[in-house]
Amino acid sequence: MTTRTRETTRLKPHWSSIFENGRGARLYPYLLVMPAILIAIGVVVYPVVSGITSAFYDVTLRTLNSGDMPFVGMRNFERVFADPNFMRASLNTVIWVLLNVVAQLGLGLALALLLHRIVPGIGFFRSGILVPWVVPSVVAVLTWRWMYDPSVGIVNEMLVRLGVINDYHPWLGDTATALYAVTVESIWKGTPFVMLLLLAALQLVPKSILEAASMDGASGWRMLWHVILPQIRVSFAIAAVLTFILTVNNFNAIWLMTEGGPLNSSEILFTLAYKYGFQRFDLGRASAVATMLFVGLVIATTIYLKLIQAKEAD
Amino acid sequence: MRNFLKNGTMAVAILTGLGTVPGWADNLVLWVNAPLASGPDAPLYAELKKFEAETGNKVEVQAVPHMEMERNLFVAMSGGAGPDVMALDIAWVAGLADAGLLMDITEQSAPLASKYQPGPFAGGRYEGKQYALPLYTNNAALIVNDKMLAQAGIDKAPTTWGELRAAAVAMTNAEKGTYGISFGSNRMGAFQLYPFIWQAGGEIIDDKGKSHVADPEAIGAVDFLAKLYTQDKAMPESVLTAGNWDEVHAPFIQERAGMVISGDWAIAAIKKNAPNLAFSIHPLPQGKKAATVIGGYNLAVRQGTAAPKAAFQLVEWLTGDRSIELMGKYQRLSATAAATTPEAIAKLPKEMQPFMAQASAGHPRPVVASWSEMHGVFGNMWDAVIRGRPAAEALAEANAEVENLLAR
Repeated sequence: MTTRTRETTRLKPHWSSIFENGRGARLYPYLLVMPAILIAIGVVVYPVVSGITSAFYDVTLRTLNSGDMPFVGMRNFERVFADPNFMRASLNTVIWVLLNVVAQLGLGLALALLLHRIVPGIGFFRSGILVPWVVPSVVAVLTWRWMYDPSVGIVNEMLVRLGVINDYHPWLGDTATALYAVTVESIWKGTPFVMLLLLAALQLVPKSILEAASMDGASGWRMLWHVILPQIRVSFAIAAVLTFILTVNNFNAIWLMTEGGPLNSSEILFTLAYKYGFQRFDLGRASAVATMLFVGLVIATTIYLKLIQAKEAD
Repeated sequence: MRNFLKNGTMAVAILTGLGTVPGWADNLVLWVNAPLASGPDAPLYAELKKFEAETGNKVEVQAVPHMEMERNLFVAMSGGAGPDVMALDIAWVAGLADAGLLMDITEQSAPLASKYQPGPFAGGRYEGKQYALPLYTNNAALIVNDKMLAQAGIDKAPTTWGELRAAAVAMTNAEKGTYGISFGSNRMGAFQLYPFIWQAGGEIIDDKGKSHVADPEAIGAVDFLAKLYTQDKAMPESVLTAGNWDEVHAPFIQERAGMVISGDWAIAAIKKNAPNLAFSIHPLPQGKKAATVIGGYNLAVRQGTAAPKAAFQLVEWLTGDRSIELMGKYQRLSATAAATTPEAIAKLPKEMQPFMAQASAGHPRPVVASWSEMHGVFGNMWDAVIRGRPAAEALAEANAEVENLLAR
């Protein structure tokens, strides 16, 4: 009988052997994530810090070119607050965000509930409803601009035929309606994304829970409020936060449709910051607005997520 | 021996290569507004080939849309990058020069001054120094739908403010949905109304840097134009929203407006979208005097370019006498003095001739560093007036803003 002896093969020492044990092994994972961290610092952390820092310096084209940018403390913020357009843009931002978030969440949920049903041809409707979201935002905005045209726009034609208005109306040219006209486009564009998130969440709700609730006599609103919504609350919260952030940062819709006009009636903080930065080339003041916007976004998002967590804990 | 031969061959090859180009060659990056480099067959490329053959320098063309050009130039050059030579709207020269981003070409351009039309040449000057030379010029004229004018019972295009109003009112028909004149909102409208301020004998900012925005002449001009919409209803509703030339031209192209104030860029748009529309172009109607607003593009050199000599050579090449033929291929007007001779005007396409004929009445917009912002102030003023605010009140507010900008 022959016995087979296992030969122990030792690997030839290599420079990478230093990561196999001891300090090298402890360092190894950090070295692996180091490139990702460096890239994140370069493309996320540095621009944010640089943007916030600029808010405290006099950064204009002249100072930028000369390299002599004096520290001005809170001066840029004072100048922003002294601008009457800032208060108007702040109020408009609140209206813009509230209308968008509430409408997109409401319509998104309604559409998700509608498309959750298994009926023949539902795939067609599910795909079709995503079209506004898939269309490039510039194309969508320019299409809506023509739809709102005060002379040949289809929106006016439809409303006249339906008897809602008597004459064509310059929706984007009227200071009373411009912001709301853009909001309609933004809601149309953003709702399918919310619907998609909520539809995915609805499909994960166990059927047994719905059946149990149904057997207990729950139906309609009670079913929605007490059974379905608690089941999808995490997805709902994510959709709310994302809609909030995307709406605040939705520059394309307002800029391409009205540029914040007429007479600043549709100005939001984002477009105001852009005007300071790239029309007046006052980058310090633009950074001041952007910093306030950033801080506001962080605070609002944190509060909302904390509330959701607290409810979760209950 | 082999090394000696090898080195010798290389030296001969290098010297032969150098012998084909006069002096050391430079690589230049040129930014132009997109229509000038719309495709590989664009006339600019052929002209640049001649420049390259003559000077040995290489030119890389980068096309930038007009709407993005100003922002891109500021952003790129503030970061120390950007082109060596750039085409820029004449209204941006002061802002870029004030920021120290353009090369001072006063000395090199002084002997060339007489070759250019005075208005466009002045558009490249800021605080006594020359920073740019004019590539092409344009101005605003009155474009008239001949059929609508005849149907309104008028036999000639308006030449005075009174005739302009009469024609606009006559062409307006609420039932048919036709209007007298198409006008832009905000910045577009502001560009169209500047000539009327000068025609009224007014001024925007004088040579001493004083604002005249709220002077009676300016108020009269703005009031006259605004009433065409607020009282006579002779402008279509697009005056409230038209934020680009396409939207300003649209009512005219659709034959819903009988007149439009625009530049030579309107011709291609009208011919393309309404090939059967019979239209004619006329100098702007006069107030107390004739005046139009000068537009166009200049060529300038970036401060700090690695090849200042070659860059200026390129500017001189493209803006000099060759520009008559080159710009003619684009249906644009050369800004050289030679382009204004009767013979040169006669060679222009018929529809271009009225623009050149009124070139002598051209006013550049004020060459001040914050002009882009002031233009925005005028835009908001126009938006307010057409929504019913009294011209005197709106212009007083605009004047205060302009004075603030001048004092900054």
